[in-house]
Amino acid sequence: MRRTSRLLTGTALAVVAGTTVATPAFGGDTRSLEVFPSTAVPGAEVTVNTAACGADGSAAGDATAVGGGTFMLAPSAHEQDAIGRFRVPPSAQPGTYEIVAKCSAGRHATVTGDLVVALTAAAAKDPTRPRGSVKTGVGGALGPDPVKTAAGVTALAIAAAGGTWLLHRRARGDGI
Amino acid sequence: MRNVGRSGTVGDAAIASVTVVALCSGAWLLRSAAESEAPPQPSAAQAAADPDHEGSAASALAPSPPDRIRIPSIHVNAPLIGLGLTGSGSLDVPPAQKKNLAGWYEAGTMPGETGTAIVAGHVDNAQGPAVFYDLGALRKDSTIEVDRRDGSTAVFTVDAVEVYAARNFPDDKVYGAAKRPELRVITCGGGYSRTTGYQGNVVVFAHLTAGR
Repeated sequence: MRRTSRLLTGTALAVVAGTTVATPAFGGDTRSLEVFPSTAVPGAEVTVNTAACGADGSAAGDATAVGGGTFMLAPSAHEQDAIGRFRVPPSAQPGTYEIVAKCSAGRHATVTGDLVVALTAAAAKDPTRPRGSVKTGVGGALGPDPVKTAAGVTALAIAAAGGTWLLHRRARGDGI
Repeated sequence: MRNVGRSGTVGDAAIASVTVVALCSGAWLLRSAAESEAPPQPSAAQAAADPDHEGSAASALAPSPPDRIRIPSIHVNAPLIGLGLTGSGSLDVPPAQKKNLAGWYEAGTMPGETGTAIVAGHVDNAQGPAVFYDLGALRKDSTIEVDRRDGSTAVFTVDAVEVYAARNFPDDKVYGAAKRPELRVITCGGGYSRTTGYQGNVVVFAHLTAGR
């Protein structure tokens, strides 16, 4: 009897969870579910993370849209992110699929992210490779050092004053 | 009168020596102020010896985006942001005003995955040296660590440090696919011209040797 009721409760919870997961995010936390890589080939492993569940928040992930089943997102040390993984099934068809995560406790947020499935590794891995050089400097380290320049100018000014004084004395004939 | 003359001579000598010292140090200061601070460039000894295979490679890690890059030998420890491409198809760069910030090519391979992951950062900005100022001083077999969001660290070992001119940039070599987990770390380098800026890029080639 007890077992039956527990079973029933479990099923009911699962159904509730299922329906909630399927419901699009409503209000509340609109931060999305990050999907890496955002484009994957069938058979590839995909990592998702979200900060929507807060610190120590885990979440239930749902990748059934792409045939990746359900999975858990565990809390991590990184910026309150919950992280989870699933595998795109080898039979997955190319297209865009919605991946869903629902916070297990605390904030009742549901977040979604898109996963693009591509058939070839080339399309998935290397959609557009960068080309050419990278503009990562402006030469700011190459300019004259202002402190040293000021010190040098001061030293030269002192030298000029000293030199003038000595020449002046010499011209007057009293000294050196 | 004699006394005055002697003290005058001593005073003159003092002034003369101060003048000479000031002249020399002034000249030295101005010269070093003008010529100092050019970022280090890799020597030929750091070029790739055997581009295809070097040392042992670790097997690829599960995909996880990177958060931080650390290069202990040149005291780099900087957060990473995601980068896209510019309109011309070149890799975008992190905001220049943040001097301790690097970026990774978000649409490409994640560091630790099989393939070529790309990290870029500034050698300098308008205020002076930036995150990858010393990248050209990096040597073969140095270690590069990438902290990843899943809490793991991808450890790469440097295979080569090269400098390439912006014209005829070897795209395939730098950005091309790899069969093992590899990493490129890019910053500006080569010669510098006042009108066109840096003439090329310093590129560090590394491959995954451990994951922890």
